[in-house]
Amino acid sequence: MNPQGTPQPPQGYPPVPQPAPARNGGANGALPMVDARDVHKYFHNNQVLRGVSMQVRKGEVVCVIGPSGSGKTTFLRCINHLEKINSGRIYIEGQLIGYREQSDGSLREDSEKNIAQLRSEIGMVFQRFNLFPHMTALQNVMEAPIQVRHEPRDQVEARALELLKKVGLEVKADAYPARLSGGQQQRVAIARALAMNPKLMLFDEATSALDPELVGEVLKVMRQLAEEGMTMVVVTHEMGFAREVADRVIFMDGGVIVEQGKPDQIFSAPQQPRTQDFLRKVL
Amino acid sequence: MNPILQFFQNVVTLRGTYDWNTVFTFLFYPDILQGIIITVLLAVLAQLIGTLIGLLLYFTRRSSNGVLRGIGELYVWFFRGTPLLVQILFLNAFLPYIGLARPLIQTHFFRNLGFQQDIPLDAFIAGLAALSLNEGAYMAEIVRAGIDSIDLGQLEAAKSLGMTYWLGMRRIVLPQALRVIIPPLGNEFNSMLKNTSLVSAISVAELLEAAQAHAFSQFRPLELLTVASIWYLVLTTIWTLIQRQLERRINVSNLDPALTSGGSWWKRMIGFGGRETGVPMPAGADHH
Repeated sequence: MNPQGTPQPPQGYPPVPQPAPARNGGANGALPMVDARDVHKYFHNNQVLRGVSMQVRKGEVVCVIGPSGSGKTTFLRCINHLEKINSGRIYIEGQLIGYREQSDGSLREDSEKNIAQLRSEIGMVFQRFNLFPHMTALQNVMEAPIQVRHEPRDQVEARALELLKKVGLEVKADAYPARLSGGQQQRVAIARALAMNPKLMLFDEATSALDPELVGEVLKVMRQLAEEGMTMVVVTHEMGFAREVADRVIFMDGGVIVEQGKPDQIFSAPQQPRTQDFLRKVL
Repeated sequence: MNPILQFFQNVVTLRGTYDWNTVFTFLFYPDILQGIIITVLLAVLAQLIGTLIGLLLYFTRRSSNGVLRGIGELYVWFFRGTPLLVQILFLNAFLPYIGLARPLIQTHFFRNLGFQQDIPLDAFIAGLAALSLNEGAYMAEIVRAGIDSIDLGQLEAAKSLGMTYWLGMRRIVLPQALRVIIPPLGNEFNSMLKNTSLVSAISVAELLEAAQAHAFSQFRPLELLTVASIWYLVLTTIWTLIQRQLERRINVSNLDPALTSGGSWWKRMIGFGGRETGVPMPAGADHH
């Protein structure tokens, strides 16, 4: 699919020796949920990610903020391999996603089946919801567990109804997406992702396409998820949410992580001029 | 009499020789009716096969493999660039070369089925193949437009849930694309019903050929062509009504869950859809 084939490190860029993380998880048995190492990404000649390295611990809620074009959405999409990366590594609980490491240290894209398998454990919520319009809310939620995991229908239906209840939409189970408001659609989309019992949830500007009065209901569901201990990477423009809910805030600009830290630290005492500049504009 | 007036009188009265009785006699004549069966059979089969070819061509033309893409483009270029009649004649002349004509004729397939005229199976197959291959080239464009009209985010959402490309295509993209494909597909089938008449050139006794046979034996070409025209109109009218029903089903706004949950796969395939999907733009279009 990729015209360039196997991702090549950019010219003049030395391959970084990177030991694979220990399978047994090291000292306390906790592999990071996400372990991104020096991720580079180009669209044609445009370098979107210029060496992003970060880790997300199990149960951690990380909010990624930054101006448009900073690469934050692209980075999020790399985490479940919706975007191919040109160099670097991304591990999900110690497992390289999207690629297999060759004996010579180079990367080759993994089989579609393996990629799909890893993705099935990573939930993603999109800016434009991307609900399946030809299915009811309930069918949207049931689709993947039945088609991907081949779980028994009645069991899936019970769980799906429970999830719809959790996002406050059990009464809309039989409604088609076209009959739902943006906020309702996004909540169904969250339930749909949760139906696969993901160990990690990615939110790609989940509230950016919503009317202002609908943002709250979606954030409420996300906050609830965070409180339940879900590991989350949240790309967002909602600074209030990031401040209250995030364990850590990452500020990206120009394809790199400029600064990261506790929300209080980032929002109250940003160290980098670019962070200060950005926060002055949005707050 | 004024020759111009005379001319118009001839046109209106057909010089008094047009014989409606011949028309009525042959309208329900057995081999005319059997011709209709052959026409419908050819049209339905060729449309089905052509649609499958169109679908196949979509995937070859979207393939990452340059050779496959090239073959796909070449196919469409060739079959859209040469006349259907030539393709029919060509394939009919081609079958003897590969030693298929004689064994096919000797099966007497249609006579064994009870048809009065034994339609040579080799010509039938050559005609069917030409109609299908030709239709495939046109369906390729229709399928492509249908699938490409579906928001990229749909396949991305499917993939993010752990679906493979094929599963996502089958469960998510194609059912939605079908809604876009069905109206032009209906028009294609309307054309197909009439294009089958071209296989009369290779003596397949479909509707036109059956009518022509009597036209020559009765010296009544105009009347028998009228018979054929009446039946073509009946066929296309019936199809138009079916198509209208079908499109109405597709455009029913999403009100009736019974259409999608309980019904057959066919109902599920076509029984959905408001015009507003709530997914207006590709998720991949706004990289940040």
